[in-house]
Amino acid sequence: MNHSQFLISGFLRPPFYNGVGRQINQLQRLTIKFCKSHGGSKGMRDFIENHLVNYAKENQSVVVYVKPRRHRSPVIVAEYLNGDRRWMSAQNRNHEEILKWLSLLSLQAGDTEPIRYRKNWHTDCPSIQGPWTPFTHKNPAFNNIAFPDKELGKQLNMPETATEKLLRLVQEQKNTKNE
Amino acid sequence: MSITQRVQQWATFGRVWHVYDCSYQNPFDSAKVIVKYLKGMQKPIYHPMNDCGDHVVCINTKQIALPGDEWTKRAYFHHTGYPSSATWTLAWELHSKDPMMIMKKAIYRSLGGNLQRRHTMQRLHLFKDDKVPQEVLDNITNQIRQLRPVPQRLDHIDQEVIDNFPKIMDYPEDYLPKAIK
Amino acid sequence: MVFLTALRLTRARGPDEWWRKRKVFKLAAFFYGRRRNCYSLAIRSLHRALVYATKSRALKKMDLIELWKQRISGGLESHGLEYWQFMDGLHKSNIQLNRKVLADLAAFEPATFESLSKIALDVKEAENDENSNKN
Repeated sequence: MNHSQFLISGFLRPPFYNGVGRQINQLQRLTIKFCKSHGGSKGMRDFIENHLVNYAKENQSVVVYVKPRRHRSPVIVAEYLNGDRRWMSAQNRNHEEILKWLSLLSLQAGDTEPIRYRKNWHTDCPSIQGPWTPFTHKNPAFNNIAFPDKELGKQLNMPETATEKLLRLVQEQKNTKNE
Repeated sequence: MSITQRVQQWATFGRVWHVYDCSYQNPFDSAKVIVKYLKGMQKPIYHPMNDCGDHVVCINTKQIALPGDEWTKRAYFHHTGYPSSATWTLAWELHSKDPMMIMKKAIYRSLGGNLQRRHTMQRLHLFKDDKVPQEVLDNITNQIRQLRPVPQRLDHIDQEVIDNFPKIMDYPEDYLPKAIK
Repeated sequence: MVFLTALRLTRARGPDEWWRKRKVFKLAAFFYGRRRNCYSLAIRSLHRALVYATKSRALKKMDLIELWKQRISGGLESHGLEYWQFMDGLHKSNIQLNRKVLADLAAFEPATFESLSKIALDVKEAENDENSNKN
């Protein structure tokens, strides 16, 4: 069976508590490959001439490599902190589009494979008060009871029996007589 | 998993041992209650695929009370697989052979059919009287309440209570009750 | 497509046949046996599977509601309340927590759940007092 045909299932997980203390940009390395003469790389060449320095200044944590190569289509390769590598073709893209793609890549956390979420939320600390245990609401007096116990085993909320009612009526009668 | 989380896990999924006194109880009604504990349905973490069932120790199974005339009318079927080896044993007969079997079968039946049933039954401990081994008693931390009151026998009541019981009239001293034929 | 004869034109079933079947095979990829690879068997069991999937979307919700009910009444076991009494008490106290949240609270925040059960118990006792006063 070809497993790549299915959506991989998983849980929502931020990379290494990112953003809890400080935010670390997950994009680490950006390789831009292009051709100096080919038409498909025109947008890329525009981008490198006019916007790349600005982009590198704004994202100082990203290492940018520019790699010219003859007669090959332009390519963006983004490498992330968790080891993910995202390859993207920039053939015939103009400089605005390339800038948008780059800003998207630098915002992502690397793992861009779509996954089917088992749950829509995730927390490492599901309980503040401590999860339920069989002993949570247990009466501590149970520790000193020798089981089986006659009183504990008795049924609760039983209706009054005929004998009990008779005894009660007699007692009431006695009380009224005494008064 | 940190050590506190691990201990939390053990605590949440810890198996509790319950004791149930079967004396004068209807085994078929009791089975429904016992099954709830065997499956762990009394816990807020219950899930059919969650192994959170408890142990139940049933004592005094010899003292069960069947409703109506079921001692003589209820038949238990058994077939060994060989031809003409089908047997129908009446409840009183089965009970005299094995005083735990009626209770066991009642619970096994009310567990419903699935693959987990035999494993759940392993957590049921039946004793015909109240002589339970000490290692079993040591585990017990809870008691399941009975479903109906245990009737009191006349010869177990104090003579003083009997004498003081309210009555409309006294029998004459020379009164002879009707002879029992 | 280029057709050299009219016969070929009528016999050709269109360029999209392979892609159309591929869509079906992709969905039937985890079926057992020939149902995975033979189109006529695959489409037949795929239709059945999709019907099951449609029906189970409602069933899943019902199953979950049943599970939450079971868990809530499990949590109430140690507080001396029945499920219906608890829900009735909460409703009358205008506490609008749904069954899912209540089931989660019972398992993960037992103290909160205990307080909720006490609220429901108060409602129940107040009603009992009213009834006895009427009588």
